[in-house]
Amino acid sequence: MLKSLQPYGTFICFVALLVFFSLMLPGTFMTGRNFINISQQMSMLAVTAFAMTVVMAMGDFDLSVGSMASLAGIAAALTFQATDSVPLGISFALLVGVAGGVLNGFLVSYLGILPFVATLGTLTIFSGTAFLISGGKTIFGSAIPAGFSGIAKGGIPIWWSGDQVLLLPNLTIIAACAGLIIWFILEKMALGRHLHAIGGSAEAARLAGVNVRWTRLLAFCLTGLGASLAGLMYAARVASANPTQGSGLMLDAIAAVFLGMTMGRYGEPRVFFSLVGVLIIGVLSNGLTQLSVDSYVRDILVGTIIILAVAVGSVEKLRRN
Amino acid sequence: MNMVRRTVLSFAAACAWGMMSGLAAAAGEKITVITPYLAQPGTQFYVTAFQDKAKANGWEVNVVDTKGDVAAVISRLEDAANQKPAAIVINVDPSQVTAGLEAAKAAGVPVFGMDAGASPLLATNVTSNGYSMAADTAAYVANRINGKGKVVMFVFDAFPPVQQRGIIADVIFKNNPDIKILDRVTPDVKDGGIADSRAKMEAILSANPDKGSISAVWAAWDQPALGALQAIEAAGRGGEGIVITGIDANPEARAAIAKGSNFEATMAQDFSGIGSAVADAVKRQIAGEKIKQSVIYVPTKLITAANAKE
Repeated sequence: MLKSLQPYGTFICFVALLVFFSLMLPGTFMTGRNFINISQQMSMLAVTAFAMTVVMAMGDFDLSVGSMASLAGIAAALTFQATDSVPLGISFALLVGVAGGVLNGFLVSYLGILPFVATLGTLTIFSGTAFLISGGKTIFGSAIPAGFSGIAKGGIPIWWSGDQVLLLPNLTIIAACAGLIIWFILEKMALGRHLHAIGGSAEAARLAGVNVRWTRLLAFCLTGLGASLAGLMYAARVASANPTQGSGLMLDAIAAVFLGMTMGRYGEPRVFFSLVGVLIIGVLSNGLTQLSVDSYVRDILVGTIIILAVAVGSVEKLRRN
Repeated sequence: MNMVRRTVLSFAAACAWGMMSGLAAAAGEKITVITPYLAQPGTQFYVTAFQDKAKANGWEVNVVDTKGDVAAVISRLEDAANQKPAAIVINVDPSQVTAGLEAAKAAGVPVFGMDAGASPLLATNVTSNGYSMAADTAAYVANRINGKGKVVMFVFDAFPPVQQRGIIADVIFKNNPDIKILDRVTPDVKDGGIADSRAKMEAILSANPDKGSISAVWAAWDQPALGALQAIEAAGRGGEGIVITGIDANPEARAAIAKGSNFEATMAQDFSGIGSAVADAVKRQIAGEKIKQSVIYVPTKLITAANAKE
């Protein structure tokens, strides 16, 4: 019984949090509007976590996602200033993400540098570049076109009540699309199976005919692209770009993927598991703010939940042995 | 199953513990303070003074620190708006958190700015008056040199709060016909403003080698004033009586002033005063008053050798 329930421990915890906050916050937590809020609030972290899931499926890390998100925001803002074109700004920022991912992938798979070290280096390079090209300043006001910041304000109307319209936010839709695409790649395409195979054993994957180098390069590329997308979403949401604004995304994204991994039978990262991880962090932040609980308590609880969730798996393994 | 149950119970216990810390305060009007900058000393002064006043008023204050994350301020504004507290106080540029301010407005929760910048979405913003700080130091310079001499100005017109200081100083110096502006310098601020200001001042000193050829340096903030002081002292011209003023009263500036150097005056903002003035504004709003001023100014103080050590 325990064995069959073990992978669901984290999910049960998520449901328990929902029940707890619903009981403590009657009328304000379990509402459509609040869940739409949470989905929008977590959209940037969700995209980063989905992108992180790709490299973590191979057992690798990308520590540079946060600074890539900041750099992408700055790159877009400077392109807006130079060209007045929103599509050009967005395209250039995504291109910067891909280029950063190629650099990471090259360092890891072709030069053989440990991902932790390589992406720690590029974290600093991306962050330094963001500071350099922005002059360390926040780019805001008329430099950010309304057509860009409007993306974060808009959405698809899903419910009307009198004058009030409930929108499904564009940021939520973008995150959902990114999640579906990465899910498709990881679960339905050969590339995904290869990534998981490398995660199991790179050597075995190589002997089975997987082009490990190329696959790893592609994976880092996808992660860089995802990080830059998250950076663009962040910049649109705050209608400004700052060389440090994405830095908080990296650790939360890793935490979300780890939380999700505890749901896998073999501890493997999967997109929907990462989504549950993101939602746990989002629900905790939202619920605790509504309960007026000290904001630092959220950090303690997220850490505690990760350790408890992983501990359940470890204890079970010990018992089996 | 036991393990799962125990895990769930642990989560519940952890949540309950977290909640207790939040709900321990007495029930009163609920106020949420949201800031990404709690680690900065100025913000801590605002928030502490606000909390002291709030305690006296019997309010329950929840301080949310988003640790530099501006998007999280929007998220926390949306969450707080859901709970409909009596008021929300923010300490961040309102133009960056418009989405959150709109959520609060839709929920009918007034949002107050604590040195945040003016916005129609705020009930009011409490801050220091940049115009009057510039007027005080420019008038100090004009008086000290008896309305006569050559003045070097350090300005930064790209940043609106600093640009307005320069404009006021321009007007005051213009009103003294015998004061000539020798140079209006915009230093490179990438290094914080000291090093480049020093380099610029060294060049100006070289171009004006005669004693008495420069009467004063007026700087729109403290760093260029400190750079100019370094240049003047390094050039061995500290004894010429060149008067330097800055604005902000940072610790380095206070030390230079207390030492009796050429750096004679700066302006101190009353951070605690801003925090308690926000509490007063919130109290007025709770009492049913509609606050008309979109900006409330808290008086600033001229710092000279007489009070630099306070």
